[in-house]
Amino acid sequence: MAQKTGFQVDETALIRAAQEGDQDAFGQLVRAYDQSVLRLAMNLLRSPEDAQDVYQEAFLRVFRNLKSFRFDCSFHTWLYRIVTNLCLDQMRKRKVRKEGSSQVEGADGPVDRMDAVPEVSAQGDPERSMLNGELRQRVKQALSGLTSRERMVFELRHYQGLKLRNIGEILGTSEEAAKNCLFRATQKMRIALGDFV
Amino acid sequence: MNTCEKIRTQLGLLLYGELSFDEEEAVDAHLEGCAECRTALERERELHAALDGQQIEPPASALWESRQNLQRLIVAEHTAAHRLSWWDQFLDARWLKSAGALALLSIGFFGARMFPGLGLGITGMSMLDPGAQRVRSVEPGPHGGIQIVLDETRQRVVSGGLDDQNIRVLLLSAAKDPSDPGLRYESVGILNDRAQAAEVRDTLIYALEHDENAGVRLKAMDGLRPFVLQPEVRKALSGVLLSDGNPGMRTQAIDLLTQGVGEGTGGQTGNAVDRDLIGILQGLMNREDNAYVRQRGERVLQLVNASSETY
Repeated sequence: MAQKTGFQVDETALIRAAQEGDQDAFGQLVRAYDQSVLRLAMNLLRSPEDAQDVYQEAFLRVFRNLKSFRFDCSFHTWLYRIVTNLCLDQMRKRKVRKEGSSQVEGADGPVDRMDAVPEVSAQGDPERSMLNGELRQRVKQALSGLTSRERMVFELRHYQGLKLRNIGEILGTSEEAAKNCLFRATQKMRIALGDFV
Repeated sequence: MNTCEKIRTQLGLLLYGELSFDEEEAVDAHLEGCAECRTALERERELHAALDGQQIEPPASALWESRQNLQRLIVAEHTAAHRLSWWDQFLDARWLKSAGALALLSIGFFGARMFPGLGLGITGMSMLDPGAQRVRSVEPGPHGGIQIVLDETRQRVVSGGLDDQNIRVLLLSAAKDPSDPGLRYESVGILNDRAQAAEVRDTLIYALEHDENAGVRLKAMDGLRPFVLQPEVRKALSGVLLSDGNPGMRTQAIDLLTQGVGEGTGGQTGNAVDRDLIGILQGLMNREDNAYVRQRGERVLQLVNASSETY
């Protein structure tokens, strides 16, 4: 990790207070990270319900185990380790069940509920919105061609902006392995989206 | 793998800023002299740009819902754990073994304290019978209001003024909560502002006479200060003089009961100090161990020209 910022210092105090049973401090910790946790789970699992389940389970585990947190790594890394493990479990279960993630049967055939969730861009421009919709379908297809770990590394690097070293730490692997994983993921994405971009 | 192939495997990592200094130097040097690889880099940039903005942002409602569910789960978990802990304490508490079944039930009820909340946003539930709840904490709110945190099957926050009957009832109950001296202290502190009401004064007197925590008793005494001439308050303060184990409490009681003594105007004169009080002070002198309390008591007796000895 880089040098300690003011937030990190405050965060250490918050964690210690939460470890002592200060529920307000625990609430602040939750609020500091829960939006990015939900975003990560939602993007990985592409199911609002599954994402919310992961959110609940992750913070419950934090609540139950916070006293045993010994600052061996950053709280962020620890939390993300829990979240990514839960997401990987969920993705593996789906693979076994061979389920789609966010598709439900609508009146006119399968409908993806995640299409109703706004993406970060596409603000008010109909043409761009249409192109984005198309691109989104392609990206979704491309993502479905990745393995769970490739998907995870790609999400953490491209969308969450984490460094490969940190990703390796979270996933319990080396930076080099995370780098190879990212390389394979982007290569697959390039092939899948080749004629679109 | 020739040089161009090797460089192209690194273009993605270059855009992510994940190449080492030396690797980046080598890629940059190669790109300067290779138009095909520069085109490949542009395609890589387009791919990144296409992927950017495809991230799904969770709706605010999903986040809100998640926080609410989390809070409920944690409250439930904490409650279960706390009940166990109370049961363990109960089994260990020898003094409870002789208590009757009614007392046990009562302690079990009040002992079921719950998680006070994560501040994740559960408010606005309806009021129920306050007697079926436990006040977790009270604190002054803005504009003279009071915020009370209740423990019940699920926690909620009720807000209102001190003159709101629901708030008043909860505060009166919290001021006698046997399990949490901090809660009693805060409640008594807030109730002090309404000590002109008989029901509040009765609660303050009860706290002064019975609360096991000296801080709570002292706080209650503060609230009773303006009513020191009322017989029931004087009686309670006299009781403090005779039986409170805390020297600070006894000193304060002397000061309150003898306010204005010796000042000549406006306060109590020697004649105005009632005979019962003189008798109580003389009794106190006979058994007081604390030098400071003795000194204060003797000083008052000198001011009213009474002997330190019992008649």
